[in-house]
Amino acid sequence: MDYDLPTEFDLIVVGTGLIESIISAAASRIGKQVLHVDVNNYYGGHWASFNLEDFLKLKQADSKSVDIALEGDSNDKDHFLPIGNSLNQLQHFEIDWNVPDRDNKSDSLIEKNETHDEVEEIKVNKDCQQDVLGVTKEENVEVGPQLGEKELKEKCDTEEIQPVKDEIEQKCDEITQESLRKDSRKFVIDLCPKLQFARGDFVELLISSNIARYAEFRSISRVLTWINGNLEVVPCSRSDVFANNKVSVIEKRMLMKLLTSIEEDEKNPSVTEGTTFKDFLKSKKLSENILHFVLYALSMSTNETLWLEGIKKTKRFLNSLGRFGKTPFLFSMYGSGEITQAFCRLSAVFGGVFALNQKLHGLVLKNNKFESLLCGKQKILSPHIVMNVGLAPESFLKYDKTKLLSRASLITNKSLVNSEKEHMTLLLYPAANNKLCTVLELGSLTGTCPKNLFLVHITTKGSDDPKEDLRECIESLFPVEAGSETSEKPKILWSSYFSIPDTNELNLNSFVPSNVFLCPGPDSDLDYDLSLKKAREIFSSIYPNEEFLPRAPDSDEIVIGDDTEAAKEVTDHSDSVLNNSDGTSETEIALEARASGSDLDISSDVCEPTEQENLKDVEQCSEAKENMQ
Amino acid sequence: MDEDILTTLKILIIGESGVGKSSILLRFIDDNFDPDQTLTIGVDFKTKRVTVEENCVKLAIWDTAGQERFRTLTPSYYRDAQGAILVFDVSNYSTFSRLDTWLNELDTYSTKHNIVKMIVGNKIDKDKREVSREEAMKFARRHQTLYIEASAKTKDGVQTAFEELVHKIIQTPGLWESYGPNLQLGEKDHVSQNSSCSYCSLL
Repeated sequence: MDYDLPTEFDLIVVGTGLIESIISAAASRIGKQVLHVDVNNYYGGHWASFNLEDFLKLKQADSKSVDIALEGDSNDKDHFLPIGNSLNQLQHFEIDWNVPDRDNKSDSLIEKNETHDEVEEIKVNKDCQQDVLGVTKEENVEVGPQLGEKELKEKCDTEEIQPVKDEIEQKCDEITQESLRKDSRKFVIDLCPKLQFARGDFVELLISSNIARYAEFRSISRVLTWINGNLEVVPCSRSDVFANNKVSVIEKRMLMKLLTSIEEDEKNPSVTEGTTFKDFLKSKKLSENILHFVLYALSMSTNETLWLEGIKKTKRFLNSLGRFGKTPFLFSMYGSGEITQAFCRLSAVFGGVFALNQKLHGLVLKNNKFESLLCGKQKILSPHIVMNVGLAPESFLKYDKTKLLSRASLITNKSLVNSEKEHMTLLLYPAANNKLCTVLELGSLTGTCPKNLFLVHITTKGSDDPKEDLRECIESLFPVEAGSETSEKPKILWSSYFSIPDTNELNLNSFVPSNVFLCPGPDSDLDYDLSLKKAREIFSSIYPNEEFLPRAPDSDEIVIGDDTEAAKEVTDHSDSVLNNSDGTSETEIALEARASGSDLDISSDVCEPTEQENLKDVEQCSEAKENMQ
Repeated sequence: MDEDILTTLKILIIGESGVGKSSILLRFIDDNFDPDQTLTIGVDFKTKRVTVEENCVKLAIWDTAGQERFRTLTPSYYRDAQGAILVFDVSNYSTFSRLDTWLNELDTYSTKHNIVKMIVGNKIDKDKREVSREEAMKFARRHQTLYIEASAKTKDGVQTAFEELVHKIIQTPGLWESYGPNLQLGEKDHVSQNSSCSYCSLL
């Protein structure tokens, strides 16, 4: 590295997960000098997203432990605690390919299916060993002129198999491991896929803090549920209700009546404490259909959810309808990992110093308070430190066994419910073990998957065996036996299973010095609201009297155009800011703050069918161009 | 006004710390130069309207926000950029030899395979010069990028650099056409026509 880090900061943040990143942004925003470091060479920790190749490498990186060799000069009076514990690791990682290694026309499909496991396992391992951190070989192949002989040969082979890129998706049995890996960068695979409620706290924060400018979103276009062995669309709008022939007129009235009265029910409960939401709904004499929709889909409850929680969750769903799209949910383009990066960007814009891939050795405590972080050969001082729980010293944590999230990510060849238009689908699958599996199906419009393939993320509260936890859900949605070509169901081309530690219920504050703050990792919720709450709490413990993420000024306020019209516009806007800013404007003015109209980049129109058609054209056009080259 | 704008282009400025990335940006946008500017704080991105071949385009030019210092630019910084300006300091050879790394970063993270790249040799006003024009040109040719020499201090070349880059982007088919209806969240809600009849309005 060319530069040493400065050695004194107002705040050190260790780990680039969501909660750490929010705190980093909030502290930088109020003018604190923040050092934000991570041991990984990527942003996000357990909240990160990866392309296919980098995701495959995770299986190996899994066992990578934090280097705890002490090179520092801490003397006897100091108390040194090495960094890192087992909560940093993904567990039970398993990857399976259900496509042939490469297209070899002399082999029959059946033979390939029989042998693929062994062959591919070897190949995966071999590839993982090359270049764990940097640019992958495959990317070089795509890019350019510096090809080694072997790679060149590989490239030729590949091209022979896929003369035209579009053909990749044509037939399922033409998709090979090689073709998927060649498209590695078109995949963005989230470790922890999340949606946002359109009127949830998190979305409100993105807007009020002006961080929304660093991310783009798409509205989830349909919500499904699993009822009586079938997939059904959960009605989210009047047209959905009418289009749904499974819901009778009487049921429609029933549903509307329930949703209208739910407000009243919350204030004047007609039920005793401890009643489940399911029993509450039953007392409303709902049909089985409607009960199912409300219980498992709208409120995302289980049979055990208590009535008040159920009502609150139902209201949250209803409140977020009608803001950005057909459903209450938003997904961030290019994957959930973008969100942590958006907060890091804001932190950097306000002076936060970022350093990834750092050798963190440990913390030095003095008088039972955090004094400094040993990072590389440097000792960095700060009055406070915020750490991801997975990077905290072992002695800060006391727990027997932590909870786990069971995750599966799959690549499939078609949507769960085929339709002409490409959908982004949320499915809430109530499994028999009384767990709700959250299934998110993403297509190419989200920028996380090549055209005509789908990325399916499944999450549930887990045990030690993610594959077993998700078996029922996956077997219901996808053909059980590989090769049953007659099935209408989408075929799983690639699957990965893993567990993420859910540290949200651990006692994180009892065994740490008063100036150390631990941030939990991902939780089992669909959205970020719980994480935001935790970030806010930590921020206000450190800076009790400071505002949490006030609106960041637009830095693109000065529009220099030829026309005087534009110049006038700028003046108008700056006036309005000065009038509105109530004394908080001092920092803003120092940062050249003259907010421009929110119509600059912030207000593109919503997904409408016609525009989507345009989009398709553009994509086809650019793909056609790719092929020509 | 907005409806006259052909498209909005995202342009990145990258390169080693201290080569004058923000200075070039500020010179282009505000026609300002601050010789005392040390480290970049608070510069996010700037927009400017320019007219190229009778087309009005809006440029959104993104600064690194200082994240280049420890090579920690986020992948999202590179997303959807149509053009990239790689800056080095002609009076500091090491900033030139680092260009390879920056080209690599671009290839790794840029989502548009035909992103237009331009190398800018900055600080040509300085007497001491460590990188010759010929050497830089040769490098640019080898990597198939545009090359321009500039000085943010004296204004030389700055305007031309952006004009050339935009010109090349506009000429590249499939690179800049609007890429679709993603939502950016703002003060205003985006209620699509068919969703205005949600449950709420039914009640």
